[in-house]
Amino acid sequence: MTDLTTQWLGLNLCSPLVVGASPLTDDLDALKACVDAGAGAVVMHSLFEEQLVAEQMAAHRFIDSRINTDAEARSFFPESDVFAMGSSSYLKRLEQLQSSLDVPVIASLNGISPGGWTQHARELEEAGASAIELNLYDLATDPSDTAITLEQRQLKVVRSVVQQVSIPVSVKLSPFYSALPSFVAGLEAAGAHGLVLFNRFYQPDMDLDELELSREVVLSTNAELPVRLHAMAMLFNRTGLEMAASGGVHTGDDAAKAILSGATVVQVVSALLAEGPSALARITDEMTQRLSAMGYTSLVEARGALSLDNAPNARTWERLNYARLLQGWQSMR
Amino acid sequence: MPTSRNPSVETWGRRGPEVVRRNVEAVDSALANLHEVTVPDEVTANRRRPPTVPEDAPDFVQKVTRLLMEGQGDKLPVSAFPIDGTWPTGTSQYEKRSIAQDIPIWESDLCVQCNFCAMICPHTAIVSKVFEPEAGKGAPDTFEAVPETHTPELVGLDYRIQVAPEDCTGCGLCVEVCPAKDRTQPKRKAINMRPLEDHREAEASNLAFLRSVPDVPRERIPRDFKSLPLLIPLFEYSGACAGCGETPYIRLLTQLLGDRLLLANATGCTSIYGGNLPTTPYTVNADGRGPTWNNSLFEDAAELGLGMRMGLNKLVGRARQLLEDMKSNLPAALYRDLTGPCATLDETAMAARREAVGRLRDWLADQQGPEVNELASLADELCPKSVWVIGGDGWAYDIGYGGLDHALASGQNLKLLVLDTEVYSNTGGQQSKATPMGAVAKFAAAGKETRKKDLGLLAMSYGHVYVAQIAMQSHSNQASKALQEAENYDGPALIIAHSPCIAHGYDLLHSPAQQKRAVDSWAWPLYRFDPRRTPEGLPPLQLDSVRQKVPMKAYMQEEARFRMLELRDPQRYEQLAAAASDAANEQRELYMQLAGIHFEPHERLNNPDTGAEHHD
Ligand SMILES: Cc1cc2nc3c(=O)[nH]c(=O)nc-3n(C[C@H](O)[C@H](O)[C@H](O)COP(=O)(O)O)c2cc1C
Ligand code: SF4
Ligand code: SF4
Ligand code: SF4
Repeated sequence: MTDLTTQWLGLNLCSPLVVGASPLTDDLDALKACVDAGAGAVVMHSLFEEQLVAEQMAAHRFIDSRINTDAEARSFFPESDVFAMGSSSYLKRLEQLQSSLDVPVIASLNGISPGGWTQHARELEEAGASAIELNLYDLATDPSDTAITLEQRQLKVVRSVVQQVSIPVSVKLSPFYSALPSFVAGLEAAGAHGLVLFNRFYQPDMDLDELELSREVVLSTNAELPVRLHAMAMLFNRTGLEMAASGGVHTGDDAAKAILSGATVVQVVSALLAEGPSALARITDEMTQRLSAMGYTSLVEARGALSLDNAPNARTWERLNYARLLQGWQSMR
Repeated sequence: MPTSRNPSVETWGRRGPEVVRRNVEAVDSALANLHEVTVPDEVTANRRRPPTVPEDAPDFVQKVTRLLMEGQGDKLPVSAFPIDGTWPTGTSQYEKRSIAQDIPIWESDLCVQCNFCAMICPHTAIVSKVFEPEAGKGAPDTFEAVPETHTPELVGLDYRIQVAPEDCTGCGLCVEVCPAKDRTQPKRKAINMRPLEDHREAEASNLAFLRSVPDVPRERIPRDFKSLPLLIPLFEYSGACAGCGETPYIRLLTQLLGDRLLLANATGCTSIYGGNLPTTPYTVNADGRGPTWNNSLFEDAAELGLGMRMGLNKLVGRARQLLEDMKSNLPAALYRDLTGPCATLDETAMAARREAVGRLRDWLADQQGPEVNELASLADELCPKSVWVIGGDGWAYDIGYGGLDHALASGQNLKLLVLDTEVYSNTGGQQSKATPMGAVAKFAAAGKETRKKDLGLLAMSYGHVYVAQIAMQSHSNQASKALQEAENYDGPALIIAHSPCIAHGYDLLHSPAQQKRAVDSWAWPLYRFDPRRTPEGLPPLQLDSVRQKVPMKAYMQEEARFRMLELRDPQRYEQLAAAASDAANEQRELYMQLAGIHFEPHERLNNPDTGAEHHD
């Protein structure tokens, strides 16, 4: 049997399979079931900069702005300083998960402006987070915003979060970087400890009947796994950062492939949302059987075995272009 | 100048750093942008304030209403008031507030003539109208009209959407619901919010012209939900909050029933924006007739309405009696025209009845005797009238519930419209028995623990009450049907209307979508309970909502009244949200069973003769 214990950001995990950031954070029973089924850690859903701001402004606009504006009623809600619009409910949740789950709980932050919101990182640490997963998402729509300025801005965010806390910080990226290895080097220099590859988004879609945009949660399939495998295989041994796979893991073989391409940890979300916590036990069993059958006694042996550096036909990782594959086929004749 | 930074923290710190930051920024930039204005030694301006009311306003408005609006009411002598306690209606049109920054401007080329904009406007500040093309002659240059092309019954008429620029509150609801989009630039709809200042003058004169254009006869307008807004509204420009979800129901009621509507109004928002001082939104049609409105107290509206109904019954009874006594002298055709069937919603019959009453008056003028005089004074009662009681949930569920129950039990032909905002809105959001589980309200600061009272089910238990639950911002078809069925029902009816309100804590621009969530989650099921179906062997209850399409939380998370609890006490929120969801499931199970109940077809045996006015 393969020994599943692993180290992630300096934390000792009983398994590389981790519950990824998702609404499961709000379902304590499901999380407990995942932990019972063998999950090595739990990542909470993100505390969003955008949402914190929107929530405060909404309360300001729809509650505060109606105080003392009406001859008949002084206000339309009970005295409102009894609750605060901020991170407090997230922090309470974090404390609750920390005390009721036997595995590390990783908090998640999402924001892009290097402004004051990064101070929430400290609150997360104080509330007992074992680590912070920082979700960087920035969309360039301004033609004067170059890739360099955008990346510099993101590195600044990482630096300011890292400076706030003494717990490890991992960074969750989107798949869209033109020179990922160099950006990852920048992240390492900025003080990050791990990488989560990749984030996956709401899928904007079009409603052709209404002639407008729609947004839906579409769960992943394992067709989304290869782009992750590729990125990790390219980065393995070329970065000091540990890597977590996120996206498209639905079976034990998917998880095994992630590890073979270089992942230390494998996050699962869609499979859990679709199938329930039992998916975690299933994937664990399948993965263990597969890795054991392959003769691995520990994860360290398996990690990166099929990466760009280690795979026997490693050039396949680089030859993604159809034209070149066709040429290869012709020369075989 | 004292620094105002600390007060910002003190006042807004509880809302979070972003709110403080923006307040500080606003103050700082105000200070940074101060510049000196030199005050000239003498007055140089030659502009004057516009008059409080337009110069062409009626005498009463000039002499009385104007002073009230100017805050000089104390100067009015008692002799200025009407001596019998009545008060003129149709005065809100003289109170031009111009509070919107942006108003909807119509693009006739895109419009699909659905009238959704006019249906949803809380202030009757956008209307759709059809008229004879001839009548559009002499209009201002900016007055555009297009042929009506979407309703076969109205072919040949012209159609126009008109904003009342100085009465619009800028809530944006009309644009929100407008379905017509420019194909290459879908942001552009058939109405778009544009700066008031660019359009005020032109639209004000267009409005004045449109108001002078004669209405087409009421019987020409079909009674489906899309055409109903073409009927002339007799409730306009109320002072309700921007985006209020109550007022559209009242406007629709006046469109359906026009001049035959008698209203008994419970005190609350409805009586504040609907009341007479300083101006009243209830108004009159081209013949000078409109709804009659009365308000007594908060708690007694149902009793007031019941009294109005029974008083009317007496008057009608007496008028009929006199008619019978004179039958032998009356021309046979006139007698027939005054006694045939005449339902309040039958426009042809109502028009014929009004005309016959006119002939009766002419005939009576040539007769002698005390009974002749008496009938002359009662002749109008031969035109059927409809009594509606209007109030909020504080009245219907709580303080006036005993009276409401009494009115329903009476079996009288009386309709009760509950504009349910699920809190006491007018006094500032105190919980009522209509407040849903999990909502934060005054006196329920920790989130209401008990279920919303099922007022509809209580009323159904009588068996003889027409009951409906409606939501017109999102389901105007079902709402229009229910209002008409209730009116046609010869007995008591209770309509419970979902009314988005600022006390729910969200931008009411989203109320159509949010109300749809309320319906889809079964927080607000739609149904109609019609006692007329029972003798036919049909279940009286018809569910217009069947499945639960979205989770209860998808509805709850969008309103501050629920969010406040979620943020303060997530565990309690979870419990109450789960309990609210269970409650909805149980209610659905029960209603599905009621809606599936089977009766043998039968005659109604002991149909109590209540002495109510039947639609002869
Ligand atoms: C409903 C839903 C909510 C999510 N919320 C978050 C979030 O708050 N923060 C975050 O970093 N990722 C979030 N994710 C992304 C997941 O953590 C994960 O990266 C992605 O779903 C890919 O993994 P999967 O293929 O196993 O689902 C969310 C995903 C889903 C489906
Ligand atoms: S913006 Fe609001 S008030 Fe103005 S016309 Fe539209 S719906 Fe009516
Ligand atoms: S909602 Fe839009 S399309 Fe419909 S009548 Fe109004 S302006 Fe025309
Ligand atoms: S408080 Fe609510 S019900 Fe009353 S006028 Fe305002 S929005 Fe309408």
